Amino acid sequence: MAIALARTVRDGETVAQGVDSVLASLAILLARATHAPTLTWITVAGGINPVLAGLPNSSVSPRWLSGTAAILSNPEFYRLAMRGGVDRMFLGAAQIDQHGRLNSTVIGSHDRPRVRLPGGGGAAVLAQVVRHIVVWRTRHTVEIFVPEVDFVTAQGNVETVVTPLGVLACREGRLVLEARFPGVSVEDISANTGFPVASPGPVTVLEPAEAELTILQELDPGRQRDLEFPAADGSMPAGGGRERARD
Amino acid sequence: MQAASLGIPFQPIRGLCHTDVAAVGGFATVRDPYSGEEVHVVPRIRPDWAVLHVHEADEHGNARLHGSLGYDPVMAEASARVILTTEQIIPTHEPVDHPELTTIPGIFVSAVVLVPKGAFPCGCMPDYDVDPGGIEDYLRATRSEDTLREYLHDVTP
Repeated sequence: MAIALARTVRDGETVAQGVDSVLASLAILLARATHAPTLTWITVAGGINPVLAGLPNSSVSPRWLSGTAAILSNPEFYRLAMRGGVDRMFLGAAQIDQHGRLNSTVIGSHDRPRVRLPGGGGAAVLAQVVRHIVVWRTRHTVEIFVPEVDFVTAQGNVETVVTPLGVLACREGRLVLEARFPGVSVEDISANTGFPVASPGPVTVLEPAEAELTILQELDPGRQRDLEFPAADGSMPAGGGRERARD
Repeated sequence: MQAASLGIPFQPIRGLCHTDVAAVGGFATVRDPYSGEEVHVVPRIRPDWAVLHVHEADEHGNARLHGSLGYDPVMAEASARVILTTEQIIPTHEPVDHPELTTIPGIFVSAVVLVPKGAFPCGCMPDYDVDPGGIEDYLRATRSEDTLREYLHDVTP
């Protein structure tokens, strides 16, 4: 997943990530260490291009500021994004629907929710002003990938959704399967998705390169990325396949 | 709050189109009288009070923030009154010697309270990080009013 997320980044872009985003942060670090050395990274703490030894495990860790020469306040970041200065952002969501709409507000009805979620932060704005939105979710089930989200927290420039099973892409307003991870079949993905994801084009198998795996291990030797994944998940490939999907 | 800081009734904002965030918030759209573009506008929020935690302040409320400013400056401007809690009280000559380092001017501030580790169990960047055990203790304490009262007594200096 980290490798698939990293590959979405293009060199020279200004990239940002929000709170509680270990996997997205790792993907940005990986992209910078491989094919996108001149990207500009604005972290959740507002620091620009931090030099990190390992990943902080909180969004207010002092370590986010190491190596940064300037810190954007929150209004400065949103002003930059609203005037078109952020190219790519990684967002999470509790539910994702066939139109690529995201819900991080409530499960159930808004007035009598079954689960009240933390909310979208600035996602309702960012998903429309940041040109490329990449979504990641560390579980892939029919409860998460639903035909229609219970609440539209954000919609707009969602291009790619990365899960432990594969990569979905938004084509003409609909999410379709673009790539699957090794050991995962198209049938596995269809069975765990609450809407048809059949792709008109070929579905590629996303093989990590040895160099990517090596650098990933150097960037996150303690496998902090595993924290984002549920301990037991029936939809995940078993055994070594599980770690591979996380990488 | 940006609108409140500017003393205007609402703020045009990008995004929000076709979201339930806009629907539930009751956010209207207006037509830009110059370009004709439709934009969402959000009403101002003008709090009676803002309570802001800062790294250093003198007794007049001239405050210095290290790390990220977050939303603190706009909250200080939007709110009718401001209470600062501070990690450290600095002598009044320090802001006078370096006024450019004052991020919240004392003229906006009603009260200053010395509260070292005041952001605990959350973090105060760059001085200290979130304390995960402290968060768990707090969550346990919020299960009843009695345990919360006891917790607040224990963590308050």
